[in-house]
Amino acid sequence: MMATTYPSARVFGVRVRSVTGMWFHHALVFKRTWLTAMTWYFIEPFVILVAIGVGVGTLVNDVEGVPYAQFVTPGVIVGSAMFHSIFECSWGSFFRMQKGVYETVLTAPVSVREIAMGDMSWAMTRGIITAICITAVAAALGWVNSFSGIGLLLAAAMVGVQFGAVGLIFAALAPNVHTLSLTFTVVATPLYFFSGAFFPISILPDWVEPIAWAAPLTPAVHLARGFITADLGLSHLFSALYIIGLTALLFPIAAILLRRRLVK
Amino acid sequence: MKSDGDTTVIRASNITKRFGKTTAVDGVSFEVRRGETYGLLGPNGAGKTTTMRMMSGLSPITSGKLTVAGIDVSSQPREVRNVLGVVTQQDGLDTDLTARDNLIAYGFIAGLSPAQARRRADAVLMFFNLTEKSRDEIDSLSGGMKRRLAIARSFMTEPQVVVLDEPTTGLDPQGRNRVWQELETMKEAGVTVFMSTHYMEEAAALCDRLAVMHHGKILDQGAPDELVARRAGPEVALVRVANGVRKDVVNWIENQGFNCRDAGPVITVTASNGQRPDLSGLQGVRISYRPSNLEDVFLSMTGVTLTDDE
Ligand SMILES: Nc1ncnc2c1ncn2[C@@H]1O[C@H](COP(=O)(O)OP(=O)(O)O)[C@@H](O)[C@H]1O
Ligand SMILES: [Mg+2]
Repeated sequence: MMATTYPSARVFGVRVRSVTGMWFHHALVFKRTWLTAMTWYFIEPFVILVAIGVGVGTLVNDVEGVPYAQFVTPGVIVGSAMFHSIFECSWGSFFRMQKGVYETVLTAPVSVREIAMGDMSWAMTRGIITAICITAVAAALGWVNSFSGIGLLLAAAMVGVQFGAVGLIFAALAPNVHTLSLTFTVVATPLYFFSGAFFPISILPDWVEPIAWAAPLTPAVHLARGFITADLGLSHLFSALYIIGLTALLFPIAAILLRRRLVK
Repeated sequence: MKSDGDTTVIRASNITKRFGKTTAVDGVSFEVRRGETYGLLGPNGAGKTTTMRMMSGLSPITSGKLTVAGIDVSSQPREVRNVLGVVTQQDGLDTDLTARDNLIAYGFIAGLSPAQARRRADAVLMFFNLTEKSRDEIDSLSGGMKRRLAIARSFMTEPQVVVLDEPTTGLDPQGRNRVWQELETMKEAGVTVFMSTHYMEEAAALCDRLAVMHHGKILDQGAPDELVARRAGPEVALVRVANGVRKDVVNWIENQGFNCRDAGPVITVTASNGQRPDLSGLQGVRISYRPSNLEDVFLSMTGVTLTDDE
């Protein structure tokens, strides 16, 4: 049999094909499951959006100068991106680890860091997909009034990468699948409800406020809200930088923990 | 790429792997020639998987030197994986993908273009008689088919060397036979195979040469018949004896300088001089003979059987 070598481009030592290859793997899975997955991408956030936006919205006045439905839309979008991303990289990655899928991938010229990047790139994609679905609905309902609403996809993408790293950390640390439910009960759900998605942070007690602002989803909600209302300022730039900084911190931790688990 | 100048493809010299205080592989050396099937034969915990993981760059080597096709595994763990096809002990198939998509996804991540990956997947599925299963869910495949699919996957990149960890462990006899057939076809295609097993029938049937491995060390290596002839002679004697005199008989045999294993209903006797053990001086017992096999080789060198779990 002939010897073949497969040249592959590197960027800062990262083999590009490893990352796109992981992404492609996930896309193949998505191609087979998208119809049922859509309920998750679309129907669930849609129900939340309408139930809370319209239902609760009729009971409350405008919040921060916008109707309640419009107020919750950005939070529901980035929140949904967070749930998708964290699910992909905690449960999804944990099972790929258990089933030996990562071990197989590592028999190709792929590094653990590249696996982490590939999974996070797919987590980002999931964030974008769900953001597109919900933004379309919200726009049809008249809750997204500006072209800057496209920026919601950017916020969702950033959340996708950020919580992809969070999910991977949990996957790499979890001794068993039961521990993984902590990602939702301890991380995702509290973050969702205290991120300023459903009420302004300013109504929280003074001492809680700084904590709520530092919580990882809050800046994304703030950023998304800036995009949806086309009212962007320096605080939004800080939010974006905070997300990027947090991701830059979390990613190497995720890669190291995953490596410790896979390479012995 | 460097050529070794001779036919040696894999060269391991004195490789060692430690996990904390455990020494999983303890200064092992061997060479594998191009086109041959080389096996590691040893019971659970012998260090087979660890050796293979080091070879595939999945596990850093503690000390020693290991090269595959002239590529040093320690300094170029990625490059090594360009020339290897690896089938890990776990099949490592993704149950979220069809059989064919598993191959395509692997081919793409290994470096093929999507079109190349699809073409190659179809060719490989045909080669391993799995075309009918292309669109099947992984969960619907039998253990043997999953194994064949994992082997097929390792072929996606036209590897120079295929590394197979326990290719038939856990399979029923029918599944095992099919896998053996496929491995035979692979050999005929001229692929170098580095495999591990704890089945002596498998080692005898498939391996051109093998290393007997125990507690992280290679005890002896060579062609199967060579090992049998050297370590166990042409035949072993099976001695049936009443329990009352059993101890005396064992003592007598050992005093004659034979290897004697007193386990189960019979006493198994091997001569270490490569002859059939001469027990004509023994009275009052029933003696029969059978041809020696690799199990006897292993027993004569370690005092335990390949299936003993330690
Ligand atoms: N990751 C690990 N950490 C600690 N010990 C290990 C690890 N992997 C293998 N070992 C030990 O190394 C020895 C050899 O194991 P292994 O290579 O799996 O043997 P085999 O494949 O022949 O059954 C065993 O004693 C095993 O417990
Ligand atoms: Mg093993």
